Amino acid sequence: MTDRMLALLQLCDSNLPTGAFSHSFGLETYIQSGAVSDCVSFEEWLSCYVSEQLAYTDGIACRMIYDALEDGEMEAICTVGNQLHVQNLPRETRQGTRMIGEGMLRLFGRLYDFPFLAEYGLLVKEKRTVPHPAVVFAITAHGLGCSRDEAILYHFYATVSGLIQNAVRAIPLGQTAGQLTLNRVRPLLQQTAEKALALPDEDFGLVAPGLELSQMQHERVNVRIFMS
Amino acid sequence: MTEWTGELSLSLEDRGGKTVARNVYFQGAFKVMRPIYHDDSGKVCYYLLNPGGGYLDGDRYRMDVTAEPGSRVTLTTQGATKVYKTPKDHAYQETMMTLKSGSYLEYLPDPLIAYKDASYRQKNIVHLEHGATFLYTDILTPGWSPDGGHFAYSSVRLTNEIYLDGEPAVFDNVRLSPSEQQVGGLGFMEGYTHLGSMIAVGEQTTDGLIDDLYELLAETVEAEDVKYGVSRLAVPGFSIRILARSTGKIEKMLNVCHKKVSQEWLGLTPASLRKY
Repeated sequence: MTDRMLALLQLCDSNLPTGAFSHSFGLETYIQSGAVSDCVSFEEWLSCYVSEQLAYTDGIACRMIYDALEDGEMEAICTVGNQLHVQNLPRETRQGTRMIGEGMLRLFGRLYDFPFLAEYGLLVKEKRTVPHPAVVFAITAHGLGCSRDEAILYHFYATVSGLIQNAVRAIPLGQTAGQLTLNRVRPLLQQTAEKALALPDEDFGLVAPGLELSQMQHERVNVRIFMS
Repeated sequence: MTEWTGELSLSLEDRGGKTVARNVYFQGAFKVMRPIYHDDSGKVCYYLLNPGGGYLDGDRYRMDVTAEPGSRVTLTTQGATKVYKTPKDHAYQETMMTLKSGSYLEYLPDPLIAYKDASYRQKNIVHLEHGATFLYTDILTPGWSPDGGHFAYSSVRLTNEIYLDGEPAVFDNVRLSPSEQQVGGLGFMEGYTHLGSMIAVGEQTTDGLIDDLYELLAETVEAEDVKYGVSRLAVPGFSIRILARSTGKIEKMLNVCHKKVSQEWLGLTPASLRKY
């Protein structure tokens, strides 16, 4: 138990070298336009990102991956990965997500030799599926013996703590303010993880139009410190 | 098995440079008008018609269109799709489109107007063969209610699934549920009322075209009135999203892009689809 906790803490570290550091997923567009400029406006953005994008995309995907792992259906894992890729219409966010997925897979594959993770790595190598952070995280969490609730929640936490670090640098916010935000968003992470578990398949990939548009517009943002 | 309120099936083929119907079938509250040729290019245009004037509680519509190799077709509607209140069950429309190699199909329906307390779901499933070209637009309005208020409908969901040679190419799932969400807020409609989309899949797509579309859009509207983005898809093609405050603005922007794509990909300047 304790060892699993420590392993999860390691995977959720926002300093994990996965490349997430370089992607804002549209946040930078809002910062450039002035719509996000402080803790309050950032938390408004973050709440929407968590309860929409994370819930309907990563959350449902994690749940589907767990179903597939329990049935030993690697083909279904490939399908989820490919759907995640093509539902991401903004190019930079799609490519960035793929890069982070690749980075996580490389790293987690070095840390653990779980059979499903190795098999997934092979499918990625054969280009049968596009790597995605939610998929890599879910497979690894499954290998560590996590329940699906835990896997979704920890994946959300890892993603959000990374986003907060990016916001601290970019807006900028104080380091303490960032930690306070993380504290405040925790109940929402819990709620959203619970919600995601109960969402039907047909809700997979539902987009919030504004978030998606900001991710498309990032291609044309003049001053950029992020790749998406 | 589903009892369809209206059903329509249409297959098109190229006959010596002119696209003609190989098969037309419709029944119930769904109809297609006689084919129209807007110019001498051989591209055909079909107007879809809902004789009932709108979608009602629990209505189920199904459309099936096949474009055979080399055929070129425009599908549009005769007027806005209206969805009236659906107290018991949502209204639903399902469209299957199959595009064979070398065919061109554009589906350009009029805006969607969901009335107070209406729920509507629409699903487009598109199968393209290598070398086919598909272009789609839609406009989601804030709907209609007796007091003139916006977003009085219950829920609207628009889903597009596009496959290229059987592999997933685009998956687009949009839902606005004013009954559950703060649709006006940051991340959603952000103070805008209308959502416009274009999805185009075609091997001819270049980065230059995306740049041109951006430039054209910038020239067409005042920046403060709208918010828009253009991006390349995972397969050759692009998507456009527009947030605005009127149907007219979105139509104007989509028309400019449609014209550009049509000129580049077909060598044709599209005819106005004026309907009233």
